[in-house]
Amino acid sequence: MFHKSPKFLSGVLSAALATTFTLSAPLGAEPREGGTLTTFTSGYRTLNPAVQSGAATGQPGSQIFAGLVLIGEDYQPQPYLAKTWKVAEDGLSVTFDLVDDATFHDGAPITSEDVKFSLETVRDNHPFGQAMFGQVAAIETPAPDRIELRLSQPVPGLMRSLQPLLMPILPKHVYDDGQEIKTHPRNMENVVGSGPFMVEENNPAERLTLVKYDGFFIEGRPYLDRIVYPLVKDPLTRVLMLEKGEIDYAAFAGIRPTDAARLERAEGVEMTTEGYGALGYIHYLEMNLREAPFDDRKVREALAHAIDTGFLAKVIFGGRVAPGTGPLHTGNPFYSADVPGYAPDMEKAAALLDEAGYSLDDNGKRFSFVLDVPSWNPQAHGPAAEYIQAQLAKLNIDVELRRAPDFGTWVQRISSWDYDATMNGSFNYPDPTIGVHRHFDCDNIKNVIWSNTQGYCNEDVDALLKAAAVETDLDTRASLYAELQQRVQEDLVFIYMPQDYSVTVSSDKVGNAPDTPFGSLAPFTEVYVTE
Amino acid sequence: MKGPLRKAGNSVLLLLAVLVLNFALIHAAPGDPVEAMVGEMGGATPEMVAELRETYGLDQPFMIQLGRYLGRVVQGDLGHSLYYDQPVTQLVLARIGPTLLLVATALATAIGIGVVLGVFSAQRRNSLASHLVTVLSLAGFSAPVFWVGIMLILLFSVSIPLLPISGMSSSTQAATALGHALDVAHHLVLPALTLGLIYLAFYSRLSRTSMIEVLETDYVRTARAKGLSRRLVIYKHALRNALLPVVTFAGLQFGQVISGAVLVETVFAWPGLGTLAFDSILRRDTPTLLGVLFFSALMVVAMNILTDLLYRRIDPRIRTS
Repeated sequence: MFHKSPKFLSGVLSAALATTFTLSAPLGAEPREGGTLTTFTSGYRTLNPAVQSGAATGQPGSQIFAGLVLIGEDYQPQPYLAKTWKVAEDGLSVTFDLVDDATFHDGAPITSEDVKFSLETVRDNHPFGQAMFGQVAAIETPAPDRIELRLSQPVPGLMRSLQPLLMPILPKHVYDDGQEIKTHPRNMENVVGSGPFMVEENNPAERLTLVKYDGFFIEGRPYLDRIVYPLVKDPLTRVLMLEKGEIDYAAFAGIRPTDAARLERAEGVEMTTEGYGALGYIHYLEMNLREAPFDDRKVREALAHAIDTGFLAKVIFGGRVAPGTGPLHTGNPFYSADVPGYAPDMEKAAALLDEAGYSLDDNGKRFSFVLDVPSWNPQAHGPAAEYIQAQLAKLNIDVELRRAPDFGTWVQRISSWDYDATMNGSFNYPDPTIGVHRHFDCDNIKNVIWSNTQGYCNEDVDALLKAAAVETDLDTRASLYAELQQRVQEDLVFIYMPQDYSVTVSSDKVGNAPDTPFGSLAPFTEVYVTE
Repeated sequence: MKGPLRKAGNSVLLLLAVLVLNFALIHAAPGDPVEAMVGEMGGATPEMVAELRETYGLDQPFMIQLGRYLGRVVQGDLGHSLYYDQPVTQLVLARIGPTLLLVATALATAIGIGVVLGVFSAQRRNSLASHLVTVLSLAGFSAPVFWVGIMLILLFSVSIPLLPISGMSSSTQAATALGHALDVAHHLVLPALTLGLIYLAFYSRLSRTSMIEVLETDYVRTARAKGLSRRLVIYKHALRNALLPVVTFAGLQFGQVISGAVLVETVFAWPGLGTLAFDSILRRDTPTLLGVLFFSALMVVAMNILTDLLYRRIDPRIRTS
């Protein structure tokens, strides 16, 4: 372990940060200090990412709060609030040294006690807290700038969970006052963060404004003076605002592939699908595997042959998305394309249904089922559900589309297992232990949304999950996940739909727009505007 | 004195009925706030779900929840927003201003222009201009409000960039109160015009019909026979009576205009009660939704009382009776 002067360290950190961004401003443009970046928000219930997952809180949250590390393009950790770290040979402890003189926005020093408090808060209150830090057996704080995590078993995805989105560093002196953290008033009022920007105006009805924190621990950063998040809920309005230049930068904007062409034609607007790998949003058809007809693998295989996801990707989504092949997003480092495929073949589908005992009845029908269509992400779920209905009608299967009027109605139906099939989607998150295992783990068949609600249990797959969760050798872990992807595709736990059309749109006046796997959820320390 | 007292008593009972009915209706819908909350959080453990239900008292039977809620309301406490984690009263009061501004501007525009067009059209009943007013009014009334909103944005914000697309004020804070007021007015034009256009048609048709009727009455004929100028006959004698149905409908329609504001506020991201109600429905934020409905009912009741008073002012016959 080594210690250097703060000045030198700032330089090292700046260089490290710079490698995590790419230039989108005119080639050769020098980063400019000052200026305002206008993005948008679709609404948030809290600014504290320690108690809330998702992009709505995460986008501003990662600017307000720092994390121990950042994640670079290669998914490797880089210094942030932790200047160095050392992993024990047995993989059962990690010691972090914090940067010198880091302070919260109220001027109080950031110490190892704050880091300990933050980790415990996330572990106990974040939806994925247990998945990320459930194996942290003890936290030692031998010095104000040193913290040691002791693990009950190796946690290969630990470092990826220590960046600001998933483990924001909270001020213990503000939050440790006996009040419930999930509903703590300081999550929205007088927020005291540890990141490059602090809250200037928080009016959830209209806008959030963040301003540069002059005492930020990386010297000379951030470049921007201000980030403004006006509330814009309607995706079409966002498109128009981007076109008109009222918004400079928009990620997770819900832009439809059909609107993308319009934006591509707009002057001074750039688009990228980079920056979504760490979250890895995937879509799938979820079937209730407890009941007929979907308890029969042959029926699921028939559906897989009938639903041409390549057609959906190319025609319905304009060729702008990858057809889904399995539980991992194509941007995930463990993604494998080597999985069983189910080529479009209606004859084979019909034969499989006959074999499964679902021949035509007296009314010329095989069976019918209700397909739930959630209210969220309608640009993805709506077209896919309608296509499935039309395709299955060719096999004499009646599909009734049940469109949920709101989020709560859909969540209630799926989490209580009161459904036949549903369009669904979820985030992978940076490590499969967080966002992928939950769907296949036999112990996670629960009445909770985005758990193993479909009721899948395979002991071999369970063993794979357990092995991958503790495997520290990257290649061995990759092979375990490759096998997992094969197995779940063999079992057809889900039928994967084309991946989400996740796109970031930015004005050409925005420089160093973040395009690491965390994209807009990474700190905007290096981002600048040219005018 | 009996009349106003009875009215006040009825209003209180009405507001109570609004609360109980809405509470029951929201409770009857599938799903509960915690499920919506957990969904938005990206999932949770069953223990976390149970803890949240207990925190918000949602693990209690319906009647207990209702009783507790009404008990708090009687003490002037509309509860705590499950989403914003703020007192509902504070949240709703912050949103009433923008909605009242939008609704009042839209109604004033609709009534002001509608009456002028109606009077003009009544005087030239079968002229081309009169038919044109009718056609344009009906087009405004028939078009879906969100479509009109988007079209106006495309025209006045994108093609001819004169007005802002969304929001109530610019991100850069105005240095002076006057600057802020002008900024808000700039943002108000499109949403108020969108909402006003729906009602413009209604008021132009209403005032036209009413004016035609009044112009054919004996007292107007007498006024003309006395040799009064046409202008005086129309604007002093006829218009006053022709306005009575306009005032009546403006009062009765207030609640309807607030409903229309929900869509307009959503399209233009106007931070009013409409967006708050819409979002609260989707998020199952029951206390906030009930608070919005309560305040909306309160505003409608207040508007009806105001209409009564205005009626007395316009029509001396009602005043003296």
